[in-house]
Amino acid sequence: MEESKLLLLLLPVLLIQLGLMIFALIDLIKIPYTNGPKWMWGVIIVVVNIIGPILYFVVGRRNY
Amino acid sequence: MNQFGVLLKKEWRENLRNYKLFWIPAVFILLGITEPVSNYFLPQILDSVGNLPEGTIMEFPVPEPEQVMVAIMGQYQLLGLLVLVLAYMGTIAGERKSGTATLLYARPLSFKAYFMSKWMMASIIALLSVWLGFLAGYYYTYLLFGSIDLMDLIRFGFTYSFWILLVVTVVLVASALMPNAGLAAAVSLGVIVISQLVDGLLGAYWPVSPLKLTAYAAAWFENGPDLADFWWTAGTTVLLIALLLVLGIYISSRKAASTKI
Repeated sequence: MEESKLLLLLLPVLLIQLGLMIFALIDLIKIPYTNGPKWMWGVIIVVVNIIGPILYFVVGRRNY
Repeated sequence: MNQFGVLLKKEWRENLRNYKLFWIPAVFILLGITEPVSNYFLPQILDSVGNLPEGTIMEFPVPEPEQVMVAIMGQYQLLGLLVLVLAYMGTIAGERKSGTATLLYARPLSFKAYFMSKWMMASIIALLSVWLGFLAGYYYTYLLFGSIDLMDLIRFGFTYSFWILLVVTVVLVASALMPNAGLAAAVSLGVIVISQLVDGLLGAYWPVSPLKLTAYAAAWFENGPDLADFWWTAGTTVLLIALLLVLGIYISSRKAASTKI
């Protein structure tokens, strides 16, 4: 009972996390070059929860 | 005014294309959700990962719903501010470096419209994120801990919004002042942290300071802050934001020449 409740509660969190990951991956594919090797950012985005995509948006994209 | 509209549209498109419009609210919503959920499941979490000796009994006081909202604000004060600083450190400094600024500055540009359009867009996104995060947190708190008076929540959010606007303004001015995005982030974080420290140490001597906004926001859940102090603080914050905006416009026009091609 408690477990399924936790899952239901965390569903939005998982969805947002997935959304962030997908946005970051789409951007990674479209962008011509990043700060550091592209494959590395791919790994970071997929493997590191939540922080990975954010790290990519802040550091990996070369907007600065 | 027309130029402001055009530049605002450019800012909008830029924030859409670098996904800031999506990921900054997402971070704030995540922070807002995880705080009540992790508070609620703290005993179970400790049970399964805490590696406590058999038979340990721990009593956790169940936090009041208001306390959970204040805890969310605490998260925003740490991680939220960091995210805002990192997201907007390059608004002007980065544009000078990337060459976008060269294209802009070569035209008869009103720096008022230029700076204000950036400030407007950054503020809209920051406020949107904070409010969405508070609402998400409020919903979860309501589900798990109990209800909060909606008026209190709105007052709480409004008070905190003043502080967020001030932070955004500081970041943009730092971005206009500094040669690159990293330095801008360092300066704005430095200003925020040091002023918080000073206010924490000596703040007992003055009731009116923008740093007190978070305390006043939390106070709405109890008896409410001293109204005179609160309005003076809000007024001072607005004045400070206005002064910083004028400063930012002046600096961005003065430093236009530092653009790289």
